[in-house]
Amino acid sequence: MELNAQLAPFVKATIKNLKDMLGFEVNTGGMEPETDEFTSQGYTVLIGFTGGWKGRLILDMPRETAMKMASAMTGEPYSSAGDEEVLLSGAELGNIIGGNAITEINNSQPGLQIRLTPPSVFTGMGMTMFNARVNSSSLLIKTDVGPVKVNVAVEGAQ
Amino acid sequence: MDIKFINAFISGLLNVTGMLGLSDLKRSGLSKKERLEIDKDVNILLGMTGGMNGNIVLSMPEQTARNIASTMMGGMEIAVLDMMPKSALCELANMVAGNSVAGLDADSVSMSPPTLISGQNIVALVSLVETLVIDFTAAAGSVTMSIALEG
Repeated sequence: MELNAQLAPFVKATIKNLKDMLGFEVNTGGMEPETDEFTSQGYTVLIGFTGGWKGRLILDMPRETAMKMASAMTGEPYSSAGDEEVLLSGAELGNIIGGNAITEINNSQPGLQIRLTPPSVFTGMGMTMFNARVNSSSLLIKTDVGPVKVNVAVEGAQ
Repeated sequence: MDIKFINAFISGLLNVTGMLGLSDLKRSGLSKKERLEIDKDVNILLGMTGGMNGNIVLSMPEQTARNIASTMMGGMEIAVLDMMPKSALCELANMVAGNSVAGLDADSVSMSPPTLISGQNIVALVSLVETLVIDFTAAAGSVTMSIALEG
């Protein structure tokens, strides 16, 4: 598994939180390069970052996975990924994972001073996320409740 | 939210769209929501940190997105919302946010690069804070600008 410098801390934080906080079994696949357009599996948590790295983190999963993940966090069953609590759970998960990752990045590279923007959560049919002139890379993480894709785009990254 | 933000963002959008040839754009509504939720097909989202912390979203129907991109690209006909028009719309959001923030004396605001989210039947939750929603209408269609600033 060869991860680039931008993606690695976010993948590490995602795996840690899915394992420790939610108690899931996780398996990772390989890194996949993406173009400037990212196709969603149905449910996306998006967090921007500013500072030394300008870009965004996407945690993407099928709607079914999002509902099960929210259930694991709240203990309630859900029937729609558009349910407010499912959206809120995703935002919170994104905040925790993003926060862990940038804390690690900022500690190891103090000059970067990366900050997170508040998370947004989207669910819909045939969704794509487009960033002009920014290519991103993804890593697919397989969990008990389905696949979770971690995607990071940083301006000017290789 | 401070009243001074409202005018800065309204004139930010109108300045930029005027410059780009969408001079018939008029403000048609102003409201406040408890939280930022959107349900349009094309959304361009941009985050801010520093002196202001939050998100700005420009939302519009796909037809409007194609019309606006077409105007920005010198009247070129746009049949599909592909890479070029999407880049144009991202740039529009960048300019609107930059222009609006410049109109405020907020220090050191950093912006994350815009992301354009498109699809069908989108349900979104962008922010949990009080949100300012400003509607604009033009011949090209309607555009909604939502501004959610934290603390």
